[in-house]
This record gives sequence, C-alpha cells and structure tokens, in this order.
Amino acid sequence: MNEEKYLIERVGKENPFRVPEGYFDTLKAEVMARVDVSPLPVIPAEKKKAKVVRLRPIYYAVAASVCALFISVAAYVSFDRSSVDPTVQQAVAQQDSYDSFDAAADYIMVDNEAIYACLSSDY
Amino acid sequence: MYSDEELSVLLQKPDTQRKAFEYIVGQFSEQLYWMVRRMVLDHDDANDVLQNTFLKAWNGLASFQGQSKVTTWLSRIAINESIDFLRRQKNHGGVSTDEDMSIANDLMADTYFDGDETQALLQQAIARLPDVQRTVFQLRYFEDKKYSEISRLLNTSEGSLKASYHIAVKKISEFFKAYD
Repeated sequence: MNEEKYLIERVGKENPFRVPEGYFDTLKAEVMARVDVSPLPVIPAEKKKAKVVRLRPIYYAVAASVCALFISVAAYVSFDRSSVDPTVQQAVAQQDSYDSFDAAADYIMVDNEAIYACLSSDY
Repeated sequence: MYSDEELSVLLQKPDTQRKAFEYIVGQFSEQLYWMVRRMVLDHDDANDVLQNTFLKAWNGLASFQGQSKVTTWLSRIAINESIDFLRRQKNHGGVSTDEDMSIANDLMADTYFDGDETQALLQQAIARLPDVQRTVFQLRYFEDKKYSEISRLLNTSEGSLKASYHIAVKKISEFFKAYD
C-alpha cells in the first residue's frame, strides 16, 4: 500500500505520549481500591434440579420380574378358593392376598431390604 | 503466570476472584492504558476511562465465562469505553470543522505530550476520522494488530476492517499532502 508507506515515512510510528512519573506503579492499587468499594459481582448459582435417581435398565427388569413372580405365586397359592359370602370373601381375599404375598416372598427367599437395596443402589 | 483457562476459573469463584482480578489488573493495565490513551489523547481522561474499564469488567465478571481471551475481553470494554468517551466529548464540544486545529494546539501545550508539530498534526488528522475508522487505524498502524485480532475486538469482518483502514490511511495522507 503506497499511501501507508508514504505515511510511515512522513510521520513515523513513534509514541509521543508520556505519563506522570510512577503512574503505573500506583495504578493497580488505585483500581483495586475502587473495586473494593464496589459490591461483589453476583455469579448466578447453578439452578438446583430435582434429584432423579437413574438406575441401570437391568435393575428395572429385575424389579419387574420380581413383581411378576410375586403376582404369579400369589395367584397360584390362592387359585383354588371356595365360594363364600362376598364381604367375607373380600376380607378373606384381602388377607389371603397378604398371606399369598408373604408366601410368595418366602418362596423366592427375597426380603424387602434386599429389594430396596437393589432398587436404590447407585451405579 | 496464569493461563486464560486458569484465570477464567479463578475469576468465577468468590474466594479467588478478587486475587485473580488483581492479577489481571497488574498484567494488562499498561497495555490497556496505551490503547485508551491513543484514543482519548489526554492522560487524565485516559486514566478515568481505564479505571472505568476495570470497574466495568469487575461488575461484569459473571458474564465472562472464558469464551474469549482475557485480553480480548478487557480490550473490548476499553475500546467501547473510549468510544463512548469521545462521543460524549463531541456532544459537549460541538462538531469540529476541517479548519479546526484545536487538538493539535492542545497537544503542543500538554505536559504529557513529547511529540513535535508533525506528531500533533497526525493526532489532529486521526481525530477527524469517524470513531470506528479511528479505532481501526490506531490498532493497525500503531499497535500492528492483525486484522483477525481486530475483527475479534470490534466484532467486524476483516474485509470491512481492511476497507476502513485503507480509507483512514488515504484521508490522513491527503491531510499531510494538503498541509505540506
């Protein structure tokens, strides 16, 4: 660029500006003094998310299998129920359901603690 | 010596941000001062603009996530503060004409200006340029910055910057040819 060459030859590139003696020595302290009287910058906190415990798919499969097994065993155990009064039958069915569940649990030898531990363990 | 990545992290933590900020003031204040001084010319004005630059940077720490270099971030603020200062100065002082040599005259009388008449006239010619052209000229001619770097500072395409610079050089050359 010819005009740039002309300009460099005509006026040069030197710095004609000067600063008061010791200016840069005290500059940092002056800036920080102003900073110190300014409120601290607010850094937005990370938004808190609801903790979702994700389990490995295998654990969901195990839980589903256990439930299916309970239901199957409970159904089998109470399969040959004789007919009685519906109210009584309902109460007995309820009790039977609990008994069946307990029986199913005993049958497959898995207790509640083991199931909870399986479902809640982190990976 | 901290890297930009380290500084970005330190500037975001409440227990380290003041110390990190003090570090960058120490590291970059002189470089920023000269960038500002070439724009605003007077030492006291440059000092004010520079201090405002750091204050603005401090108050805007949350917005600095390390997406650019620390120098780029600070330089952008410094350039914007300088341009704002010049615009306020123009609004208060009125529009200067082509015959107006007040800047050159003021510089020759300035204790902190060591240049001769040619240097004073150069600053007069530069001061007549529109703000962006003036900024581009300063950054390219005096600081030898690459167009890629100026592009990051001013968020302007390199093509536009090259055009601005060529026009600025042409105008200043014509000023001196007419003066001689």
